[in-house]
Amino acid sequence: MVVLEGLRMRSERRPYTDALHAVLIHRGWFRGSKAMLSGMTVTGFRFTVNRRLTAESATAYNWHSENFLAADFTGMTSSQHMGFVFQPTWPLYRELAIAEIKASIDRGAGAVFWHGEFVVAAGYDDERSVLYYSDGRDSQLRELPYERFGNNGTPYWYYQIIEGRIPMDEHAIVKESFLQAIFKWETHDLALPERGYACGRAAYDAIVTALRSGDYDRDGARETFATYAAFKRDLAEYTAGAAGVRSQAAAVTREVDEHAAQRAGAWPEVAAAAECYGEVSRLFERIAAEPGLPDAERILLFEAARQAEEQAIAALKALVRETADNRYHDIGLR
Amino acid sequence: MSGVYLKDIRMKRESKSFADSLHAVLTAAGMFEGPKYMLSGLTGMAFKFSVHERLLPLSVSAYGNWGDEHSPGVDNIGVLTIWDGGRSRHPTFRFYQQDAIRWVKRSLDEGVGVIYWLPEFGVIHGYDDEDRIFYIQDGYSSDDRIVLYDNFGLNFTEFWYARTFGGAVRVPLETMVLESVRLALHDWDTPYRTLPNTDIGSGRLAYSYLTQALRSGDYDEGGARYILSSFVYARDEIRRYLAEVAHLWPQLAEAGSRYGELAGLFDGWSLENAQGLIGALEQAAALEERAMELFRELSRQYPDPRRDTVPRWGISSAR
Repeated sequence: MVVLEGLRMRSERRPYTDALHAVLIHRGWFRGSKAMLSGMTVTGFRFTVNRRLTAESATAYNWHSENFLAADFTGMTSSQHMGFVFQPTWPLYRELAIAEIKASIDRGAGAVFWHGEFVVAAGYDDERSVLYYSDGRDSQLRELPYERFGNNGTPYWYYQIIEGRIPMDEHAIVKESFLQAIFKWETHDLALPERGYACGRAAYDAIVTALRSGDYDRDGARETFATYAAFKRDLAEYTAGAAGVRSQAAAVTREVDEHAAQRAGAWPEVAAAAECYGEVSRLFERIAAEPGLPDAERILLFEAARQAEEQAIAALKALVRETADNRYHDIGLR
Repeated sequence: MSGVYLKDIRMKRESKSFADSLHAVLTAAGMFEGPKYMLSGLTGMAFKFSVHERLLPLSVSAYGNWGDEHSPGVDNIGVLTIWDGGRSRHPTFRFYQQDAIRWVKRSLDEGVGVIYWLPEFGVIHGYDDEDRIFYIQDGYSSDDRIVLYDNFGLNFTEFWYARTFGGAVRVPLETMVLESVRLALHDWDTPYRTLPNTDIGSGRLAYSYLTQALRSGDYDEGGARYILSSFVYARDEIRRYLAEVAHLWPQLAEAGSRYGELAGLFDGWSLENAQGLIGALEQAAALEERAMELFRELSRQYPDPRRDTVPRWGISSAR
């Protein structure tokens, strides 16, 4: 039996990012806050909704490309596998999944996997054929028999192993995240049918349309808004940190402080963006905190948030104009 | 172990280079039994058809993101597959390169060849730790091509790519054939596989790109020849594939005859006779459209959870 000491995920409404953060902090591959990780990995900039505002909204994205990129943007190397549980090859992959997750734990690193939500594998016991995992609800580890891996109430199985981290210039990581933020704002996730989902700027339109029509999933909407409130708060904190401005909402990480002065001088545009994200975050906070708000009022809040986020993106665009121009029509392609 | 040389792998360029490589690796490893056209049909590789607007030779292998394009086909024949690849200019490449050198060697140690982008696709069938080299078949020459460990993944394109294979499960023929028809439909219906770029058209649109270029005369001649010979070869693979599985459903037999008619249109084709070629391509597009309607009719008779479930992977914009 092997159980990694001190590896626990704390669920704070950031699907995937909560799990990734737990693995990285435990292994010592990252020292910053979740907000920093949300920003640098670009996961916090993703804004996708199911048009009926169902609870899947925050995890409806291309895990394969986005979770690979989350690692890649920050210099982390990873391997991942995924598929439908109804594929005939699934038993082969399940065997591989268990072997790779165990090997990762033997190397001292947890593994992210999908169990109806993103959770963290923190140990295993071959004699009992079970994985131990943390789902972030409390400090308890839960058991999952090997043969039930992938049995999670959804059609998907997925896992990601983080293998290492190469040194990268933090300034370059932050700048790339801003380029990707623009990409996320403007681009639909190709893996999702547009009739069912909306991304980035278009997600605001979809929310407003759903609220106006009244045809949406009440519980799902509450869940979705709370999740994105957490991500928008991250963006406010992240951009404030990057601008060298001390965010009032949260403590700025030590790493940011080191470069704060340098950034404050170099990146006045980020301060402008941070102010806008602060406004977006406050609006989302209100939406999430008052689920009883009439839809007509919520629509106004979302419209204001959309406007503020549009301004944030405009400020980031001004900052990365030269690189963006060099990428022509394809701002996401590094 | 300081080296491995798998002698039973024989890669020969006939079909698309990926299908040629796949057939060589899986046949030698005992994970697939049968002729290449069956593999090409069952994996959907034969149906992939993409054309750059200027008929550049890269068209033939530019049918999308290789990871997402190849995996469903390999999965359909019940074989576990692992791949890696990306842009060699990205900072993490060095790590993935070293990692790949390790897993490529491990695969060879286990007797399984590895598909590798040279370009085009070839098969790594040996390594030598002393000289720090891989032996690779490109399918044209019986001599090996050599790639140094240090140069693994580096080539004149921006991309690196390698794929290996694990165990296999037996999948009923009907299941594989039905899915292959659906893979074909998906390729036929998807105009752009390399978004946000739109200079390469796929499926139905590939025909238009091809005829437009031939009409304008502004195209790469070597590329045009390569595209057309690959196109003609693939249609013949499809014809033979459908003939072999025609007993399963009447739609397959009928679609097979459409491809039979289509093959006849290109006997002795030549770029010099552009008008004739354009005419043949227009007829071919109509015949293939008819075959796809038959596939669609067949597909609709059975549930299709793979496409009725929104996936969490698949097509993405390269970043």
